[in-house]
Amino acid sequence: MSAYILPIIFLALFGYCYFKKVNTYDTFVKGAKGAIPLILDIFPFIASIMIAVALLRVSGITNMLAYVLSPVFKVLGVPGELTELILLRPFTGAGSFALLENVLSTYGADSYISRCACVILGCSETIFYVATVYFSQTKVKKLLYAIPVALICSAIGAVVACLLCKII
Amino acid sequence: MMFTSIGILLWTSPASVLGEMISASAGALKLCVELAGVYAVWLGILELVDASGLGEKLAKLLRPVIRKLFKINNSEIERMIALNMSANMLGLGNAATPMGIKAMKALDDGSGIATPAMIMLIVLNATSIQLLPSTVIGLRASAGSASPADIILPTLIATFVTSCLGVLLVKLCNSFRAKHAKKSPLNKRGEQ
Repeated sequence: MSAYILPIIFLALFGYCYFKKVNTYDTFVKGAKGAIPLILDIFPFIASIMIAVALLRVSGITNMLAYVLSPVFKVLGVPGELTELILLRPFTGAGSFALLENVLSTYGADSYISRCACVILGCSETIFYVATVYFSQTKVKKLLYAIPVALICSAIGAVVACLLCKII
Repeated sequence: MMFTSIGILLWTSPASVLGEMISASAGALKLCVELAGVYAVWLGILELVDASGLGEKLAKLLRPVIRKLFKINNSEIERMIALNMSANMLGLGNAATPMGIKAMKALDDGSGIATPAMIMLIVLNATSIQLLPSTVIGLRASAGSASPADIILPTLIATFVTSCLGVLLVKLCNSFRAKHAKKSPLNKRGEQ
């Protein structure tokens, strides 16, 4: 069902453009041209954050943090097995999806832990990545409370997610 | 963050540091090549949406919400934020990024300090309401779930809660900062 949504939206868009007499091809090309300069601009930022995350993981800091924090998460009703997933989520999308696959295959796709993991991933974002990339094109040096607020929200989101999985 | 990581690695496995860093940045390059393709498609689509006037219509639809949340009055920025939010809702994070970057650039006032509107955009992107967590459902289906889509409802509720909370916290922080900024010059005058 959901597989049809995007193709239908695209079809409708092209149809609408034809109806509005927009030069579809030229306009599309004009927009697509912006992709490479954009990537060139944000590559250094993506590279730095990925290097930092790789170092964090290899040095074992995330493992240590996960070990220390898992009792805290347990008290809040979040399964301790998901601590590393929750810790890595703000940094890396690919990494946390790899962890999710791991959870799904270890505990079974329909287990409580897997459902919690799915909802947690669904309601959170790679905050550090988004902030780095979004702010990379601005002169902003002071982010003020942007990151803390986003992190607090995702942490509460994780707790709410596990609670919801118990009820629903 | 990097400093402590390397510090610890100095004890555990000093030989792996450079290799890990290089493979991570090579991974970043691979990701960027992939993203360049993704952005080319979405920026092309975005241009079409804009040129056909659909962007303006979407912005008009979302304008009341955007005006209330961001306190801005600029139809071009409103349009970008509207597109960014709609892409986020459809679970298309990668499509939302180029529009988010454009909106951020337009919101920048050059002062070097994030404006309330910028922070709101970041927090909304971090907690965005997802109508369709498509990647997660896909992964769950391939892991052999009996009903992979049954996480939609809890996800929807959870993202709704976090988004509301995010908006509330940003507004609270803003008013706190505004009060603080008003008080401090008074204090200075008092000291003199």
